[in-house]
Amino acid sequence: MNLVGLAWKNLWRRKRRTSITATSIGFGVFIAVTFSGMGDYSYTNMINTSAKMGLGHISIQAPGYMQSPSLDKQIHHVNDIQQRLATLNGVEDSYVRIQGQAMFASAHKSVGGAFLAIDVNSERAEHNLFIRSLVEGEIFIKRWRGANETLSGIVIGQGMAKKLKLRLGKKLVYTTTDKHGDIVNGMARVSGIFATGVKDIDNSVTLLPIQTLRETIGYSADEASVVAVMIKDQRYTDKLLKLVQLRVSELGRNETEVLSWRETQSEVAGMIRLDRSSNQVSQILIGVLIAAGVLNTLLMSVLERTREFGVMMALGMAPLSLFALVVVESVWLALMGLSVGVLVTVPWYLYMNRVGIDLSGSIGDDYSAGGVLIDPVLRIYLYPETILMILFTVLMLTLLSGLYPAWRAGRNPPIDSLKAM
Amino acid sequence: MNPFLLASRNLYRNWQRSLVTTLAMGLAGIIMILFSSLMDGMLKASERNATIMNAGELQLHLPFYLDDPDLYALIQGENQLLEKLTGAGVSASPRLYAYALAAAGSSSAGVQLRGILPVLEAQVTDIHKHLAQGKWLNDAAPYGVVLGRKLARTLNLRVGDEVVLTGQASDGAMANELYQVQGILKAVADDIDRGGFFMLAAAFREFTVVSEGVHEIAMKRSNPSVSLDRIQQEVQNVAGSYEVKDWRALMPVMARLLDMADSQTFFMLAITYMAVGSVILNAMLMSVFERIHEFGIMKALGLGPWQIAQLIFAEALLQAIVASLFALSLGGWLALRLQERGIDFSDTATNTSFAGIAMDPVWRASVSVHSLAYPIGFLIAMTLLAVIYPAIKAALIKPVDAIQHF
Amino acid sequence: MLSVLRKQFSAILVFFLIVQGLLMVRMSIASDVREPENRASIMLRHIDDLWRGESSHSLFSMNIRTARYSRTLRLEGWSLGTDLTLVRILAPKKEQGVSSLKSGKHLYTYLPRVDRTIRLTSSMMMGSWMGSHFTNDDLVQESRREEDYNIAISYEGERDQQAIIEFTLMPKPNAVVVWGKVVLVILADSLLPLSEIFYDEDLVQTRKIVFSDFKKLGGEIRPATLRVIPSDKPNEFTEITYQLLDFGVPLEDNFFSLGQLKRR
Repeated sequence: MNLVGLAWKNLWRRKRRTSITATSIGFGVFIAVTFSGMGDYSYTNMINTSAKMGLGHISIQAPGYMQSPSLDKQIHHVNDIQQRLATLNGVEDSYVRIQGQAMFASAHKSVGGAFLAIDVNSERAEHNLFIRSLVEGEIFIKRWRGANETLSGIVIGQGMAKKLKLRLGKKLVYTTTDKHGDIVNGMARVSGIFATGVKDIDNSVTLLPIQTLRETIGYSADEASVVAVMIKDQRYTDKLLKLVQLRVSELGRNETEVLSWRETQSEVAGMIRLDRSSNQVSQILIGVLIAAGVLNTLLMSVLERTREFGVMMALGMAPLSLFALVVVESVWLALMGLSVGVLVTVPWYLYMNRVGIDLSGSIGDDYSAGGVLIDPVLRIYLYPETILMILFTVLMLTLLSGLYPAWRAGRNPPIDSLKAM
Repeated sequence: MNPFLLASRNLYRNWQRSLVTTLAMGLAGIIMILFSSLMDGMLKASERNATIMNAGELQLHLPFYLDDPDLYALIQGENQLLEKLTGAGVSASPRLYAYALAAAGSSSAGVQLRGILPVLEAQVTDIHKHLAQGKWLNDAAPYGVVLGRKLARTLNLRVGDEVVLTGQASDGAMANELYQVQGILKAVADDIDRGGFFMLAAAFREFTVVSEGVHEIAMKRSNPSVSLDRIQQEVQNVAGSYEVKDWRALMPVMARLLDMADSQTFFMLAITYMAVGSVILNAMLMSVFERIHEFGIMKALGLGPWQIAQLIFAEALLQAIVASLFALSLGGWLALRLQERGIDFSDTATNTSFAGIAMDPVWRASVSVHSLAYPIGFLIAMTLLAVIYPAIKAALIKPVDAIQHF
Repeated sequence: MLSVLRKQFSAILVFFLIVQGLLMVRMSIASDVREPENRASIMLRHIDDLWRGESSHSLFSMNIRTARYSRTLRLEGWSLGTDLTLVRILAPKKEQGVSSLKSGKHLYTYLPRVDRTIRLTSSMMMGSWMGSHFTNDDLVQESRREEDYNIAISYEGERDQQAIIEFTLMPKPNAVVVWGKVVLVILADSLLPLSEIFYDEDLVQTRKIVFSDFKKLGGEIRPATLRVIPSDKPNEFTEITYQLLDFGVPLEDNFFSLGQLKRR
């Protein structure tokens, strides 16, 4: 006997029940997508934001730079490194940067802070938080000196501008130590002002053109403190880390340390791990709930068909076949449920992925500055394997929920069941 | 005939079906109770976590101190003020701050001195629980100090090592003193990690020659169920011209981040309720439609549509009540267990702080009247709503159709 | 981030400033004259060279007045070349014996109270001088004024019954200076400085240095007292007065040792 066909027919005999069950399975997909999507989106967002603060997803540094960053620890042949990484599949971009601490002085005051020296021609706003949060002026000022383009200027945070009483075009003297540890200083005019909304950053971080800074601190055009590697998909960090290590070590003449964001931003990594675990607890609870709903309908349908099963058994159907019949029914149900789920979830996913829910209204409108760091819009995003994982889990849950009712159906003694009505 | 009597007979007769339906509803109730109390716990924890590491719930300063922290911006007469603050319903911890230079071996670093009274500080923050090595400050070791994680690494210091501190006293003189490292903190927040130099208030006063007054009073509500706004108002009344700020004003970006997380939590809670609704709707639709045949017979036997509807509502209500009792007892018990023990994630999370926010690796539920009452209310309301459509269908069905409906 | 570095602790920093040897006694040796000079440049060079010498020994006091306290330190200092400086506090008693040695990039301070010598790196120094009445310009000013400024004589004649010359120094476009303008007043006959006023780029006055107490120091007439006054806090100042200043003292490199640092 064709169990598959019989199960299919059985389901269509009870259209309403089937549709109710399929809907609730579909709803399970919907909820799972929403929950996992919130996780996937916000972790990716956090990881990428922290990568944009300067060190990238993967960063190549001098050994020991991570523990105590100072300008006497530099890496060499950065252009070679960059070139070798450019051809690496999965690497989106890499940036050469010099990071260090300095004193920044105006005629009125001086404050301590940090600088991030960048090659503005290669930097892209989407990979640099500070460029993105520029509120006044421009990143640097380009001038042509003969055939060579030179960049001048300094971009400072809003907080620092206020403290030092600086405006666009005003000058600032920075003092730092050069590669030998000697005190050196340079002058730059404020070309831009950024506001990230985070007080500590706006008070102390500045951007300098890398070439100008190299001259000041005695670095050659091939030296820097960090090569920050941005990768296309943060999930492949570990895999790419090994590849980057390999490529850098092939150069042979370089003492470097290759670190992932998990090491350079260990606090973010810890927070994500913690949040992911608590998200899993919520998902387990929701899974139990959905399973209970499916179990409920399947069990009801079995209980209600006691007589039917009795008749079938009396006609010579083996208990195992009855068990199999109900299992196949739940497989069909699961597949229908998944289809319903996909139908319902796709528009929701597209909406949530592209538009999202703006939570800023519930939080207060003072968002203009913090907007760069904190996205007030709740969005979801799913990785392909998460989607497969959800579909698989819902399928398994439905099948598992079908097992007990199937066992009940197979165990029915025919006489009792015939009396049941 | 009393619809409830008939309903209970019906339920009893179909006991297997009733049991399955009621169990499904009960389970939905349990999940809602667990979810609400876990989410409540998370909301409470996020506020607690933001304040428990360092900030406290409220802080009192001289106006403008926060913009320009100055050794001389002292809150005078702190002892009377502390007494008054206790009267206003807060635990209060006075703090002193100064900047100095710490040196050990051939390394040196700028540090922020933080003078505290350990007994009072422990009533406001849990920083004493965040030691990676050694012991927290205590009066038995007057020259013992506790350092931030990165600072200890910069100065290459371990527990038991000595560290020289030099800085400027309030009289302008150059102060210097030797201290012993007694403890090293775990990651707390960047500024504490890099420059936190905790010492006893007495040692701080001796070093800086600040004999009276404090820079900051950090506070925590003695009774966490009183609203922070109200307490802040009362503290402000006592504090007079001093500036009283709550943690939201002190850490606006963090507060917004947490608000975002809270909105997400509400969003998740709403979705969970929707899921519960679908389960109940499902169960109710099934329990009526599967028995439409039976209702047809009843109608044929002379029951009016109103009576049928009454019967169906009575059945639903009875099941909802049993399910609620079941959910309350089992769900309530589980939630209470989760409140006591929590779910421990400490294996997965090594770092327990992020930007000054403590991240408690134990997720505890918070059981309250509303974390129990809302799910139960929702359960009953949802049941009654879910049954409207099938009840109307059953009440209006023609007996002939119903009997054919098998 | 870095909030600690941002703060000041001015007692040590003023001390380190002195150690840097850049306040008054600029130890570099006068460089050769290269370009054809105008009269203003020659006069300014004379002022720059007032405190330059191969080696020096000095006794001086430092008077700091702020809104919170006022105190006086007495100090003794030795220098050799540009790299070696030793300064010791003589009074007040509480700080007596605290001494500091600058040897090249390294800076050591001996603290007699705890009997420890601490070592500071130059990067640490960077964080520590701010907030005082001096600026980092004072510290790192190694170049001569004419390299950084366009100099013009803006007034010449009688002012407050003294014959004076007033220079206006406008920073060159790429000069590493924070000021927008500096006005220097000197006595016309002796070419000794009277005052130096610093402005920001909006030409708002930010601080003033007043020279006084002209007497014979190190064989020549020099202003023995220098007072720095921040313009936004006119009641505060830091004042240095030389009691003794000798140039060309016989000193050996090994005088500037860690052992010497601890000697009381």
